[in-house]
Amino acid sequence: MSNAPHILVIDDERQILRAIRTILTEKQFRVTTASRGEEGLALAAANEPDLVILDLGLPDMDGVEVCQRLREWTQTPIIILSVRDSERDKVAALDMGADDYLTKPFGIEELLARVRVALRHSSRMQGTQSKVVNAGTITIDLAFHIVKRGDEEVKLTGREYKLLAYLASNHGRVLTHQSILTHVWGPEDADHTEYLRVYMRQLRKKLELDPERPQYILTEPGIGYRFIADE
Amino acid sequence: MNSVNMQNFSFLSRLWQYLIAFLLIASVTVLFFALRDVLDTTLIALLYLIPLGIITAYWGLGPGITSALITFLTFNYFFIQPYYTLTVHRPADVVILMVFLIVAIVISQLVGRAQAGLAAATAREREATQLYELSTAFAGLPNDHAIVQILAKQVYAVAQGEYVELNVTGAHPFAYRLPEIEPPLRSPELIIPIEAARGVLGEIRLWRAAPVISPREKRLFQTFTSQGALALERAWLAQAESRARVLEESDQLKSAILSSVSHELRTPLSTIKAAASSLRGKQVSWDSPARTELIAAIDDEADHLNMLVGNLLDMSRIESGALKPKREWNILPEIIGSVLARMKHLAEEHQIKVDVPESLPLVPVDYVQMEQVFTNLVSNSLKYAPANSVVCIRAQVEDESIHVQVSNQGPQVPPQDLKRIFDKFYRITAADKVTGTGLGLSICKGIIEAHGGNIWAENIPDGLAFNFTLPLIWDGARPPQLPMDTEAE
Repeated sequence: MSNAPHILVIDDERQILRAIRTILTEKQFRVTTASRGEEGLALAAANEPDLVILDLGLPDMDGVEVCQRLREWTQTPIIILSVRDSERDKVAALDMGADDYLTKPFGIEELLARVRVALRHSSRMQGTQSKVVNAGTITIDLAFHIVKRGDEEVKLTGREYKLLAYLASNHGRVLTHQSILTHVWGPEDADHTEYLRVYMRQLRKKLELDPERPQYILTEPGIGYRFIADE
Repeated sequence: MNSVNMQNFSFLSRLWQYLIAFLLIASVTVLFFALRDVLDTTLIALLYLIPLGIITAYWGLGPGITSALITFLTFNYFFIQPYYTLTVHRPADVVILMVFLIVAIVISQLVGRAQAGLAAATAREREATQLYELSTAFAGLPNDHAIVQILAKQVYAVAQGEYVELNVTGAHPFAYRLPEIEPPLRSPELIIPIEAARGVLGEIRLWRAAPVISPREKRLFQTFTSQGALALERAWLAQAESRARVLEESDQLKSAILSSVSHELRTPLSTIKAAASSLRGKQVSWDSPARTELIAAIDDEADHLNMLVGNLLDMSRIESGALKPKREWNILPEIIGSVLARMKHLAEEHQIKVDVPESLPLVPVDYVQMEQVFTNLVSNSLKYAPANSVVCIRAQVEDESIHVQVSNQGPQVPPQDLKRIFDKFYRITAADKVTGTGLGLSICKGIIEAHGGNIWAENIPDGLAFNFTLPLIWDGARPPQLPMDTEAE
């Protein structure tokens, strides 16, 4: 039990805290809760949790600021919770260093999936990164730059491969438009979301069974993209 | 300094009148002098009355009397013997002279008085006309700015002003200036307050040549300003009334929303409550299929509830004008695809066909808001169209915009209602037969219009079609053509 990952939940709504705590405890996580930003920061410093779940709408301070203050000293993964229509805040928090987000109301499966992905990425940062990513029939070999669909190799342009490799090595996580553009094109093209739209469409045509209803390269409306690989 | 000049000018014009009167008498005198031997003295005296009458008629009493006295002296000097003296020898001449003086003065006075009376009557008539014009201009003016403009123009015209500034105080102060330039540097010659029963509404500041205000002008300005004050109060009252009406309407709207919403919210809540309490109360055994069914109902109804709340938020955002699209160049099929993927479980009984050409250019839209539009149009189609019918989404470029059509094989809408289905809370069928807040289509309208497009519905041979257009030009820019790298690695 003491080896179980420790999760700090910061949210001012008691019913949400109650629900999240019940579910996460049931799933064998250790859970600490805080209902204010300052309290959350203090608990984070004292307990060094493995993961922080942070609501963006806190009564005493802006969630984006909490995110920023956490990132000043720790790389522990942060999942933010927010309501619909606050894409701007979500993007700000993600660009500030948060790892993922959930829109309220959310399903528990979704929450657990995000927690799993975030914990996996943080453990991988300390260990070695897996060199092969599998998603359905797609195999992406990051070491040898080979992409296969079934047994057949998929021909990708240089840019397409770079894009896919960035998505695949962060599979399960949301990547903001800005972060993808900065990584794949360079900081000077960080505003050209139309590049992303067009390249993503091409990638989907080459990889997805039905490019109009993608299974692997998912759009996160107003935020960015997420690559879904096998667990 | 300017006013001093103007005063001089007025004095000069006065002097000029006397000078002309004098010249007239002089020239008449020269004429009579030439005919002195032919004309009788009494005849000359009679003839002298003609220029006197003319002078009084034209320039009034002052020049008239003065001319009469001068004529008296001239007549005596040139035409009464002994000539070139003011002495009179013959008693008859004394009589002529005296009679002449009396007649000349009486004529001058009579004509002058008639003249003054006429002038006063004309002035009164003009005043009355101006007032009449002003009050007819004010009548039917609901706008305080227009009233102030007319008042300023009238004052400007009547006062022969050089510059007029009309300041209105109160809750929304504003000023009107005539001509529309910066006011003169000096302080105004006249400040007339605009007073109403409830206090001062503002003031008229008048710059003009003659600083002296005549009683007539004072009376006129007072009438003007009180008329203006009345008109302003009437306009403000009308505005307040229409504001009150808008408030009342929005109040009615709010109660309509509340009643619709509480009805709509209660339906999923009832399901959730019933399912959750029966699960909690252990009436349903752990492994029965009913349990799975109840849990699925809770989950679905919670989603439904979330959608209702989302619609309400969108509507309030549209109503308050806070819906600002965050535009980016997007691929329409991607948006349609993600909407259809999300609605898969709702569309099991229908067939959805997408007919969008591959060559469609990028469109400058807000991704999230356009998802909302497609979601609402498709879900509306699914709600009304019979099972197993086809819902079709088409898109094509038309000139510099894109035309999208979502059609279904559901019931047609009476032609007179085709526009109204985009109104809030409008429903084709009775509210309790179909679920929803009645907001979906009006949200679509709000979003499409915020993007600079149009939305309309039309009856098609086998059903109903929703159409909308979206401009392809964004800030003067056309859809970008991207340089693609085609070489394979």
